[in-house]
Amino acid sequence: MAEPELLLDSNIRLWVVLPIVFITFLVGVIRHYVSILLQSDKKLTLEQVSDSQVLIRSRILRENGKYIPKQSFLMRKFYFNNQEDGFFKKTKRKVVPPSPMTDPTMLTDMMKGNVTNVLPMILIGGWINWTFSGFVTTKVPFPLTLRFKPMLQQGIELLSLDASWLVSASWYFLNVFGLRSMYSLILGQDNGADQSRIMQEQMSGAAMAMPADTNKAFKAEWEALELTDHQWALENVEEELMSKDLDLDGMFSSELLTGIF
Amino acid sequence: MASVSELYDVTWEEMRDKLRKWREENYRNSEQIVDVGEELINEHASKLGDDIWIIYEQVMIAALDCSRDDLALSCLQELKRQFPDSHRVKRLAGMRLEALERYEDASKLYDSILQDDPTNTAARKRKIAILKAQGKSTEAIRELNEYLEQFVGDLEAWHELSELYINEHDYAKAAFCLEELMMTNPHNHLYCEQYAEVKYTQGGLENLELSRKYFAQALKLNNRNMRALFGLYMSASHIAASPKVSAKVKKDNMKYAAWAATQINRAYQLAGRGTKEAKCSVKAVEEMLESMQITMS
Repeated sequence: MAEPELLLDSNIRLWVVLPIVFITFLVGVIRHYVSILLQSDKKLTLEQVSDSQVLIRSRILRENGKYIPKQSFLMRKFYFNNQEDGFFKKTKRKVVPPSPMTDPTMLTDMMKGNVTNVLPMILIGGWINWTFSGFVTTKVPFPLTLRFKPMLQQGIELLSLDASWLVSASWYFLNVFGLRSMYSLILGQDNGADQSRIMQEQMSGAAMAMPADTNKAFKAEWEALELTDHQWALENVEEELMSKDLDLDGMFSSELLTGIF
Repeated sequence: MASVSELYDVTWEEMRDKLRKWREENYRNSEQIVDVGEELINEHASKLGDDIWIIYEQVMIAALDCSRDDLALSCLQELKRQFPDSHRVKRLAGMRLEALERYEDASKLYDSILQDDPTNTAARKRKIAILKAQGKSTEAIRELNEYLEQFVGDLEAWHELSELYINEHDYAKAAFCLEELMMTNPHNHLYCEQYAEVKYTQGGLENLELSRKYFAQALKLNNRNMRALFGLYMSASHIAASPKVSAKVKKDNMKYAAWAATQINRAYQLAGRGTKEAKCSVKAVEEMLESMQITMS
């Protein structure tokens, strides 16, 4: 099916497409450095540190308990899971879910997040829409339905125009999400310019940061530990060891290492 | 006196990389660090850039080890000038006070750090080190136990506690600490071997069996651990010589001991190959193995 091909002015490529890419990229880099400057120190309480380490210890007991003798494993399991005074049964932490209104640090964090990420995106998107308006910028290589037209062709009121053609504003938004991998290439993994990661974090961060989880985490560990059994890894270690001679290759070398270098 | 770079014909980059290697692998060759580090600081400070601060810290601790208080003080002053409010620098100042045996002043300094930041592990550990330096091992053990109740995951502290217990001959508790270490690092043959040695020292048939198993595990993890090989030989022959074991256990253990003896012989032959005394040393090894047979009283 032959569609009439629109021929775009090559000036568009030079003066619209490329500048938008540059602008998006530079704004992302600036966002990254601004977020580093505005980062607030997270102060952990002693209890939180202690609890996290206890959870790690219990997990290691479950995973690597098979390397210690059975008696020791049972002793530790008893310490954690005993009915009356096992650690996981006994300790209840005070639960204060930090709602954004009461916890001041979370409030400022949210504000900072909004300022550094959402605000510039809206501002620059609007400016691009205003500056580069009245023409199509580029075309996506796959056909789209008509429903996409009002979304992707903001300033253009042509009913017959193929929905694959985009204006500069949509090109800008494509860039914002597409340059994510470029950011991790240049700025390293944990960079503040990663828009979508931040949005994901905002959604899951509310669930993660609550210390009520400590009680739930304890309960989960208790259950997991109840289920673990002790399979001693050293049952047949002598037989396995003595099945062949020791590998003493390279143990003695005739050259002596002297000095510092 | 010739400088390090002249003696070994190395550039300042190689010296800096060597210092980094020592830092990352936790070496304690303080005299060498002082030699190399002092020259780097005095001659090449401008070329080091931001690396210089961590080198100051490393050289300062090494200087305290070698009693070079002048060098330690100058490093500390540079660090204080650059990082005036840092807890890390305060801890270094405390370490210097400890080196001068001004223990109360050091203790007060660490307390002030802890007031500011209760989760600071370095200050707590230094306080325990002060107790150890003053010879108060029971208090040190008690403090270390309290520390470990809060920070269960600190492996360095578990190891230190096991050492303190071994010094007090409380082998059961030392074994507990080593079990923690073995659980978190199951592939480290040295922890297995140390645990086996503690069990062997505790004595009793059950512990001997455990020690034999863990010596074997250490050997499995690292075939070249001679200490574990000797330990295997000793524990196996000890069990075999005990009057209370069944015939099957006796036979098994004698088989293990014989295997260990052959491996020891092999190792000594490999070591002595190429030298004239090879035959003599092999014979000496055999005699030594015979004399190591323990007779139960």
